[in-house]
Amino acid sequence: MNDKITVGIADMKMAKGSGILITYALGSCIGLCFEDPRLKLGALLHVMLPLNMEAGRKNPLKYADTGIRETLRQMEAQGGLRSRITVKIAGGAKMFEVNGGNLGNIGQRNIESVHTILRKEGIRLLGEYVGGNVARTMLFDVDTGQACIRSYGKQDIVF
Amino acid sequence: MAIHSFDELTSMEIDTLREIGSIGTGNAATALSTMLGKEVRITLPEVRIMGYNEAIEWIGGPEAVTAGVLVKMSGQMNGIMLSCQQLEFVNLVMHSMLGLTVRDYEELDELGKSTLVEVGNIAIATFINALAGLSGISVDLTVPAFAVDMQGAILAVPMAEYGGMSDYLMTIGGNFVCDNKQVPCRLLLSPDIRSLNFLLKKLGVAE
Repeated sequence: MNDKITVGIADMKMAKGSGILITYALGSCIGLCFEDPRLKLGALLHVMLPLNMEAGRKNPLKYADTGIRETLRQMEAQGGLRSRITVKIAGGAKMFEVNGGNLGNIGQRNIESVHTILRKEGIRLLGEYVGGNVARTMLFDVDTGQACIRSYGKQDIVF
Repeated sequence: MAIHSFDELTSMEIDTLREIGSIGTGNAATALSTMLGKEVRITLPEVRIMGYNEAIEWIGGPEAVTAGVLVKMSGQMNGIMLSCQQLEFVNLVMHSMLGLTVRDYEELDELGKSTLVEVGNIAIATFINALAGLSGISVDLTVPAFAVDMQGAILAVPMAEYGGMSDYLMTIGGNFVCDNKQVPCRLLLSPDIRSLNFLLKKLGVAE
C-alpha cells in the first residue's frame, strides 16, 4: 500500500508518475483533481472559499480563483499543458440547514465559482460530485487518474 | 486598539475569554445536569487560536464522525456556536432521557435526533445567555441546525464563514465531566473579529 500524501485545507499537493493524494472531509470546501495524463502529472487542491478578495493575498490556495490559477501555474512549470489538463471535482455541500443568513450558501457559491474559473481558464471538467449535504473525502490516484469519494454511511464512488 | 487578527490577542484578553468560556460552559453544565438528572461538571475551558489544519487535528481528526448542533448568532455579536457530540455523549443523553443506547449514529431515529438537537440547543443558549448577561450585549440566535457527519466538515463551517477575514479559527469552550468520566461534548464558540473586539470592549479589557 502506497503512503498517501495528505492535502490539508487551503492546500495543494502534486505528484508525478505515481502516488495517491488524499484530502479529508470536504464539506462546503471543494477538492479538485487536476491531471495531465500524458505526463502522469496530478495535483489535488482543496479550496475553501469562492473568490479571493483579501488585500494581502497571503494564501492563494484558500480561494477557488487564485487556487486554480496557482495550481495550473505550478503544473505548467512541470511541463503540463493546459490543452491536456483535465479536472474532477467534489464537495460544495451544505452541512447545516440554517434559516436566515447566507451560511449554507458557501458550498453553492464555491461550485459556481469553480465552474466559472475552469471555463475561463479553458480546463475540461471530466466529472463532479457536488452539492447535497454530505461530507466527502477525496482520493486521487495519479497513476490511473482515478478519483474516489468516501462519505459517511455511503458506498465509495470511483470516477 | 482593536485587533485585526486572532493572533494579536494579548494574554489578558485571552484570560478574559477563558473566563467567559468558563462561565458559559459552567452554566451549560448546570442546564445539562438538570436535563439529565445527573451531576455534570466541566473541565478547564480553553481558548484556542488555531490554523485550519491544526484545529481539525485538535478536535480528533477529520474523518471521525460526530453529531453537530449549530446555532448562528446575530445582533450585537456575530458568530457561530457549535456543539460537537461524540457517541459517548450521545449515549449518555439517550440513556438518561429515553432509556436506550445506540451503537452507531445511524441507529438514531427522529426522536433521538430531535433530543440531541434540543440538548445541544439548550447548552448553547445557556452559554450565550451567560455571555450576554455578563457583557450586556444582546444576541439573537437562529433555530438550531443538526448534522451527523465527519467532524472535519462540521468544523469547516465556522472556518469558511469567517475564512475571508482570518487564516485562524478561534474557539472558546470546554468538555463536560459526568460520573467522573470525561464525556466528549465540546461547546465551541467562534465569533467574528469585529464582534470579538466589541465583546472585549464591553468587558473593559480592550487596550
